[in-house]
Amino acid sequence: MSAIAITRAGPLTTLQDAGRFGHLADGISASGPMDQRAFHEAGALLARVASTGIEFTSAGLAFTTEGPLRVGCAGGQFRVSVNGNPREWPARLGLNESDVVEIRPGPAGNYGYLRFNLDCDIPTVLGSRSTNLAVGLGGWKGRALRAGDRLTFGAEAAATEAAPPPPPPDGPIRILWGLHADLFDAAARSAFARSGFVVSPSLDRMGVRLLDPAGVFRTQRRLNLVSDAIVPGDIQILGDGTPAVLMRDHQPTGGYPRIATIVSADLDRFAQLRPGTEVRFQPVSLEHAR
Amino acid sequence: MEHGPAATSLSPPTERIDLPVPTLLPLGDRALLIRFSTELSDHANRATIAFARQLEADSPEGIAEIAPGLVSVLLRLADGADFARLRGELMLRIGQTVDAAPGVEHDVAVRFDGADLDEVAGLAGLHPREFIARHNRRPLRVLATGFAPGFVYCGFHAADLMLPRRESVRPMVPAGTVLFAAGQTAISATPIRTGWHVIGQTTFQNFDLEATPPTRLSPGDLVRFTEAA
Repeated sequence: MSAIAITRAGPLTTLQDAGRFGHLADGISASGPMDQRAFHEAGALLARVASTGIEFTSAGLAFTTEGPLRVGCAGGQFRVSVNGNPREWPARLGLNESDVVEIRPGPAGNYGYLRFNLDCDIPTVLGSRSTNLAVGLGGWKGRALRAGDRLTFGAEAAATEAAPPPPPPDGPIRILWGLHADLFDAAARSAFARSGFVVSPSLDRMGVRLLDPAGVFRTQRRLNLVSDAIVPGDIQILGDGTPAVLMRDHQPTGGYPRIATIVSADLDRFAQLRPGTEVRFQPVSLEHAR
Repeated sequence: MEHGPAATSLSPPTERIDLPVPTLLPLGDRALLIRFSTELSDHANRATIAFARQLEADSPEGIAEIAPGLVSVLLRLADGADFARLRGELMLRIGQTVDAAPGVEHDVAVRFDGADLDEVAGLAGLHPREFIARHNRRPLRVLATGFAPGFVYCGFHAADLMLPRRESVRPMVPAGTVLFAAGQTAISATPIRTGWHVIGQTTFQNFDLEATPPTRLSPGDLVRFTEAA
């Protein structure tokens, strides 16, 4: 039997599969990888790939192996070494007993992924092994992985994954106007699309708060709205005028006004933007987004 | 947009509902929202529940998930779904009259000892005993689920029991907390933060990961609140 013993884990290191779909009405959002493209890129590095992988954050991860294991690593730009020998990123690793894998922060990205050729011994919860940190459900006992945790593996997986399409080019993050765009006047909408925002240090799997140096929403009046469904990528304006982008562990419904939604093709790219990065939004048509 | 007056009485179990014409809005590029109103009303909520049930019974192609809310239904689209065609299919079903099947009935016993009970009763001009009697006088409809695991909004109470939310949000309240605001009673099934008034506690548990489905209450069900012995 193979296993990995985690010796160092940044905050919010979680087990994720494609997501826990179909439970919005039960009050559970789908979770799943913050950067879905990178999750599949890591999976496509292996001939056989298990559905569940590890999502780690910008602080990186370290572990020791027990028994043979193949690992695909991708997402962001990290530095990885095996027994002290640096390897290229993204990486395909063929590991053996007592190998020491060190993943250290690199120049870009918030999230990296490890995919394995073996199925991990983690029970499914409502059909998925994804961790929902907002609810404390699924994955490793409903919590983030940390040093001392030992993840054991079973049989080799049967599935294969195709390489994802190349990432969309850098540039403004594309948005569709949101559920409540009509509650913002034309000047506010135009300022939103014209101004630069900055990714704040307040980010997690639930959402990313943005700084608004131009003060686009500074004088936003408080609105009393009936709760409606939320989707990943929704940009809501909190009561104090802070814009916040809802991410994979979002609450399923909410009552803050939502000016726009990041198109699904750009949400992975947005998730990887580090605190301090300037971000601009570009409205596109639904036809363009699909 | 208001579709008729906000009636507060509970209709007989089986009813025919005239669906108001909703607005179809894309929610990002992977979901559609069918919104019956921008304000919470009895009619819009009934229409939302009836329309969601109708879709669940007979789903057009391309829908991966149906999640009714208070006044709107979220449709999560399947990969590769044809947005325009689905929109057309949905338009054909709009403006019809649908039969609303009677909701399943549930009994929920509450210990009315919440920190805000006396204040809430006082604001309604009632003695706490009187408030409890009024609160439990008739069953409430499950208006919506989905805010948090197993969380339900039930309504509507009579107009004189309408109270706004609290000014401040409470730190975590435990699962089974019975909450009161906006003419509704809500029940938490996991620890949550809330700006609603805490009026009691129930052992009724609406979230069980071992069960399929994990929640027992569905929109449109009826909840009879009783006082726990």
